[in-house]
Amino acid sequence: MTIQKTIQNQTLTVMPEGRLDTITAPQLESELRSSLGGITELIFDLDKLVYISSAGLRVLLSAQKTMNKQGSMVLLNVRPEIMEILEITGFADILTIR
Amino acid sequence: MKKTISGTFLRWLLLIVGVAFAVSMVFSWSLQTRLSKKSAVNLLRLNIADVRQDVIDASDANLLNLTRTIASEIDGGAPSDVAGLSVLMTRHDVAEINVINTDGIIISTTHPDFLEYDMRTGRQSAEFLGLLDGTETEHVQSYQPISYDSSLLRKYAGVCLKDGGFVQVAYDADRFQRDIDHQIIGVTRNRHVGENGCIIIAGENWNIVSDRNHNEGKNLYATGIWIDRPTMPEGEVFISEVYGETCSCMYVFTEGYYIIAALPENEILLQRDTSVLLTAGLEVLVFLALFAVIFLLVHKLVVNNINRVNSSLSKITDGDLEEKVDVRSNTEFASLSDDINATVSTLKQYISAAAARIDQELAFAKNIQQSALPSVFPPYPDRKDFSLFAAMDTAKEVGGDFYDFYFLDENRLAFLVADVSGKGIPAAMFMMTGKTVLRDYAERGDAPADVARFANEKLCEGNDAEMFITSWMGFLETDTGLVRFINAGHNAPVLIRNGHAEFIKQKVNLALAAMDGVPYREQSLQLMPGDLLYLYTDGVTEAENASEELFGNARLLSVLSGPSGKGEAACRNVCARVKTALKAFTGDAAQFDDITMLCLYYAGTEADEAFADNVPAPDRESAENVIGPDNSEAETVTAPADSASDTVTVPASAEHLAEVIAFVEAKLNGFGCSERIKQQITVAAEEIFVNIAHYAYGDAAGNASVSVRLEQGDAVLTFRDRGTPFNPLEKDDPDITLGADERPIGGLGIFMVKKSMDEVRYERDKDENVLTIRKRL
Repeated sequence: MTIQKTIQNQTLTVMPEGRLDTITAPQLESELRSSLGGITELIFDLDKLVYISSAGLRVLLSAQKTMNKQGSMVLLNVRPEIMEILEITGFADILTIR
Repeated sequence: MKKTISGTFLRWLLLIVGVAFAVSMVFSWSLQTRLSKKSAVNLLRLNIADVRQDVIDASDANLLNLTRTIASEIDGGAPSDVAGLSVLMTRHDVAEINVINTDGIIISTTHPDFLEYDMRTGRQSAEFLGLLDGTETEHVQSYQPISYDSSLLRKYAGVCLKDGGFVQVAYDADRFQRDIDHQIIGVTRNRHVGENGCIIIAGENWNIVSDRNHNEGKNLYATGIWIDRPTMPEGEVFISEVYGETCSCMYVFTEGYYIIAALPENEILLQRDTSVLLTAGLEVLVFLALFAVIFLLVHKLVVNNINRVNSSLSKITDGDLEEKVDVRSNTEFASLSDDINATVSTLKQYISAAAARIDQELAFAKNIQQSALPSVFPPYPDRKDFSLFAAMDTAKEVGGDFYDFYFLDENRLAFLVADVSGKGIPAAMFMMTGKTVLRDYAERGDAPADVARFANEKLCEGNDAEMFITSWMGFLETDTGLVRFINAGHNAPVLIRNGHAEFIKQKVNLALAAMDGVPYREQSLQLMPGDLLYLYTDGVTEAENASEELFGNARLLSVLSGPSGKGEAACRNVCARVKTALKAFTGDAAQFDDITMLCLYYAGTEADEAFADNVPAPDRESAENVIGPDNSEAETVTAPADSASDTVTVPASAEHLAEVIAFVEAKLNGFGCSERIKQQITVAAEEIFVNIAHYAYGDAAGNASVSVRLEQGDAVLTFRDRGTPFNPLEKDDPDITLGADERPIGGLGIFMVKKSMDEVRYERDKDENVLTIRKRL
């Protein structure tokens, strides 16, 4: 998995590409942990994310919890197969998806 | 060191006796000293008085003789004028001659100054007047100063004259002594004062007249005595050296003589010392006797009695409440004995009252316990496919053994025997908890291993008494005869098949409540129609006979072997046989432990045939947790596919996830399934594998295998591991309605699997966790 990050003012855009699973989730988690300081808006562009497992969902949930305190988080371009997982897990209700 | 009564008494007694002895000795010493001195004084006085009398007697007799002679010469016509008297005075060598007329007037005298002297005018001279009035004819006086001239010392005697009046003759000490010295010498010769004392007589001029030591003629001070008359009154004791020996001395001066008596101090003190020593000796004897008597009395009356009371008390302390204190040698101890006996007897009453109450409570407890166990046999009279009988004989009023059985559903019967460590009320209370907990979990529908695991967790909570329960619990599928069971540290049951009895081969897990987090392994046993399964507690195999032999496994098998019959009768028969054998074996020995047994007879289809009550057995319903719409169609999980290509086995570690996913994707591609389905299955495979990787082996290493098959158009994936028994499906589903902040991180994976798959089920197959997922393609 590759992760692209763009910071503009206080907005961080993250573009994970490929599979967010047990193996790769820690990678995203550490990227976020080192970049979220001072960020008021976090954007996940999931256009190129093709797979997510519970480990990936945990990272998203953890990020959402952090951003609830310091700003907002939004998910963009969610693919249908990912969306299905977000829906059955109830994540669709707690994440902002556009 | 602790002091004993007799020791303390001994010390005080010794002290008191010592003080008494010292006081009495001082008293006796001073008394004896005074007595000795007094008796010495008396002795001296007595001796002096004797000697003095001797001297006076000799002196009086001498002067009277002279006077009589002169008087008779005058009566015979000798001239009594001054010249005549002078002749007589010279001839008789006297100091003075007076002739007194009947009027008491000196009418003639050798001393011119005395002429015409009236005898009545002087005290000393008046004593002679008795010669004139006829009351006496002779009178003699002691050596003394005369009335006329007190500086003149003379001794006078008077004798009446024939013609009236009297003649008075006097002489000086010189003349007197000349006359009587020879008589005086003899006076002291044989006279002793005490043993070694002596009398010394000395003249007015200190010349010794008489002395036992033959010092006559020497001056008195040669003896060591010095008399100073003005300072040393007559008749008083004075101390002086006499011939080199310290003596108590006394003197009188009489008739011109010093009469001195001396008594050596040694002799006086010897007397005293003897008396004191004698007293001391007697006192020592008396005190010794007193001491011995008091000591023996104290010993007999107090110490011995206390020892007897103590020995009785120590018996009572050791638990012998029948012991009586019986010390009656005196009132005090009799009263003490009575009080102690009364106390003990009150105590005994309380104890027996308490014991009675406890007995009653134990009986209640026993009732409660007994009524908690199913006791109506046959319990399911309308079931023909199996029969069951159970019995429990408790060693005490309440015990820790129990048995139980109940239906989990129409065709699953749970049955168990268990033994709580320990005995009595604590064991019974723990038993009730254990029984309830096991039943709760069993009725919840868990598999035996899970029931055991959850019950173990529950029982470990707050198990401060560190009790534990060994149990054998089986779930009988009445239609198939399959018994799935766990053994938590319990004795192996006996399977009796065609009259042949043998112990079930099994793995034994740790007893319940022994340790937190212990896994339990489900095992299975296939019963055939006609089989008997005999469950028991160690009260059976460990029953002891009088020679302390155990009943043992071999005897049990031998009793259980042989034909037993069918149905409930067979169960009763088996239990009765064991009881009889136990009774015969133990004889009179007391039953030491609870004896509990449960016997299950499996009739199966045999019964169906026998009773022509042939209801088709329902499809075998698996005991596994089954989730999903395909529940009713679930089939027994088959063994993993033989084909090596269907299965991949990798170390159970997240690092190997990619291999697993690649394998699963490859297989699914081969089945020609859609991307969406493939992704769902892949996600599920990941979640399950990661779960195994995290939890199955803890920190240890182990493998996990995944097989992928196509069954009737369904993709079926089976995951196996040999780790801790763990059913991930039992985890509560996360609450997906919670907001992001409330929602816990974790617990999602299995939930996703459950949600996305058509069927998920877990089972424990021997030592393997088997999780199977099915997804319609």
